[in-house]
Amino acid sequence: MQIAKEMDLYTKLNILTDAAKYDVACTSSGVDRKGSGKGMGNCTAAGICHSFSADGRCIALLKILFTNECIFDCKYCMNRSSNDVPRTSFTPDEVCTLTMEFYRRNYIEGLFLSSGILKNPGYTMELLYQTLYKLRHEHHFEGYIHVKAIPGAPQELITRTGFLADRMSVNLELPTADSLRKLAPHKTRKKILAPMRQVQLQTQENKHELMLFRNAPQFVPAGQSTQMIIGATPENDYQILSVAESLYQKFDLKRVFYSAFVPVNEDAMLPALPGGPPLLREHRLYQADWLLRFYGFQTQELLSEKRPNFNVFLDPKCDWALSHLEHFPVEINRADYYTLLRVPGIGPKSARRILYARKSGSLDFPDLKKAGVVLKRAVYFITCSGRQMYPLRIEEDTILRNLLQSRGPAPSETLTYRQLSLFDDDQIFGSIPDKLLQAGA
Amino acid sequence: MVIFLCEDSVDGIFTGIYDAWASRLGHDCIALRIHAPMDLELFAEYRQVSADAQKAEKVARSIREKMGLDAYQTIYQAALSKSPDRADHIYRVTLLGMSRHTPSEEARKVIWKLQDPHVSRIFELSRRTGNEAHRYLQFVRFRELKNGVLFSEIHAENQILPLIGDHFSDRFPNENFMIYDNTHNDCLIHGGSRPWFILRDTRPDALQKEDISLLEQQMQELWRGFCSSIAIEQRKNPHLQQQFWPLKFRPWMTEGQ
Repeated sequence: MQIAKEMDLYTKLNILTDAAKYDVACTSSGVDRKGSGKGMGNCTAAGICHSFSADGRCIALLKILFTNECIFDCKYCMNRSSNDVPRTSFTPDEVCTLTMEFYRRNYIEGLFLSSGILKNPGYTMELLYQTLYKLRHEHHFEGYIHVKAIPGAPQELITRTGFLADRMSVNLELPTADSLRKLAPHKTRKKILAPMRQVQLQTQENKHELMLFRNAPQFVPAGQSTQMIIGATPENDYQILSVAESLYQKFDLKRVFYSAFVPVNEDAMLPALPGGPPLLREHRLYQADWLLRFYGFQTQELLSEKRPNFNVFLDPKCDWALSHLEHFPVEINRADYYTLLRVPGIGPKSARRILYARKSGSLDFPDLKKAGVVLKRAVYFITCSGRQMYPLRIEEDTILRNLLQSRGPAPSETLTYRQLSLFDDDQIFGSIPDKLLQAGA
Repeated sequence: MVIFLCEDSVDGIFTGIYDAWASRLGHDCIALRIHAPMDLELFAEYRQVSADAQKAEKVARSIREKMGLDAYQTIYQAALSKSPDRADHIYRVTLLGMSRHTPSEEARKVIWKLQDPHVSRIFELSRRTGNEAHRYLQFVRFRELKNGVLFSEIHAENQILPLIGDHFSDRFPNENFMIYDNTHNDCLIHGGSRPWFILRDTRPDALQKEDISLLEQQMQELWRGFCSSIAIEQRKNPHLQQQFWPLKFRPWMTEGQ
């Protein structure tokens, strides 16, 4: 029998970091705040990543759980009450010391505080509130704080915590209410959405206050976010992206994060995933998420009931462009901002540079390269002063084949027509997507 | 051809521009270089320009007034870059913007004219310096010395210290800190609530900068522990990590050693 001993800070930090690592939101963005000169810290709107862990994800915030002594038993979670793992909790003072000392050394941009449910949601939220209060008022910390709103905690507590934090989030966990019922028996969709709605309303109210009184305290100035686990349940990409879109529209969320399911528990309810976590799928969802937020796309344009999943071979934007060739080619010297944004290989930054640069003369292909356009993708879809870069056929089959082949530099003219092959294509690419088959390749 | 040799600093380049402009030799007969080249050009006269803060300020002011703040920021960042050809390109861009044939509304657009080879080169250099400066907002690591000073050592390609001073002194207004750039031997120093400044050609004491407190050791261990336990084993991807966090930064960082 093992008897629990008093743990040192190093062990505690290891356990509670390890327990928090599956939470994906680690951004420090969304709020621009200069230091007041009295305390320590400031925030920049773009956010700053301070390090990168071995899995390539950024480390911007000190991401920890306050406690992993959780009473809930969610199937997918390492800290579920039925698991036998070492349990521990921080004290508010320990969290403050760690945050302040790490921040001073420029290790981190701020604190990301999440928690298991200790005793009950209200009690846990109270502890989080105390920690934040100490950090803001005793240690005069002015850096970034991201805190979880615990579903089921009293509204009053969430409000008071929100005035101390920069961003709040409630995890949606799974895309549909059905899956939630199966895998997280102690959570319901209604309970999760309640604090989300509360934060939204409070933020709107706070905006009015700020209009009247410039120095009124700010309520979660960086907005709220949420995350969904991808691949633990049978939802398709179309359902997931629709949920994300409606969250952006109906709950004013700043970000929806997608987390590829990593099996940490053995459970009959969970998929086995022999090929590792669905990372490519997660990647495609993020690409599409960007298209929704910055490029003016809508879910129905990218996916539909009939074609509910993303193309494995092509990113969502190329995929869209290929099935909408009637919009192309786009004339670089004349097209408006939103038309430029629809061209694969052109992003918000390069589109803006094109707009500025063409005020003082027409642009040609080498100039586009300097403006940051990715020509190897864009070349099929654009003309400069009516000319294409190479004589390319604007035809789904040709472009698709060239896009898939040209993992290197922009294609040369020889790729315009197809070389006869003695071998079946599926030996080269593995299984062929529907699109290729329909195109008769 | 008359070649003006500028000193390797922002003031040096701006003074060079001032003198070149004031020499009235005709812009086609002028080139700006930084330091004397190993092989001298035929039929060229070399003139050494010594940096003059007043002349430099005059040039800076007229760039700001005539070409706008965006242009000044871009040119300033390009002047901080390590590239030896920057002086001449900056000179050509200022010609475009400040010639009396350019109407004032055109002058403010010059910096966006990426079709022009000089502008696009300046744009590229400026972006490189700016990106490196941002990298150092991420990757500067302080250690607390026994005397309470926060010390950091970096190895920057371009002279990025002037670009990160504001950020760190706003962030740590009440700390005494020092960032030492060991490529250029410059030190950024911030003491208490006074404004920051840069000391050129200074090398901090080698023994003193390794003399760290006990708490500092503990914090470094905690941080290294945190960085390793935050990674998810099943998602391991060193290639991606290296893309965001290149190896050249790591020797100077707590968790990279």
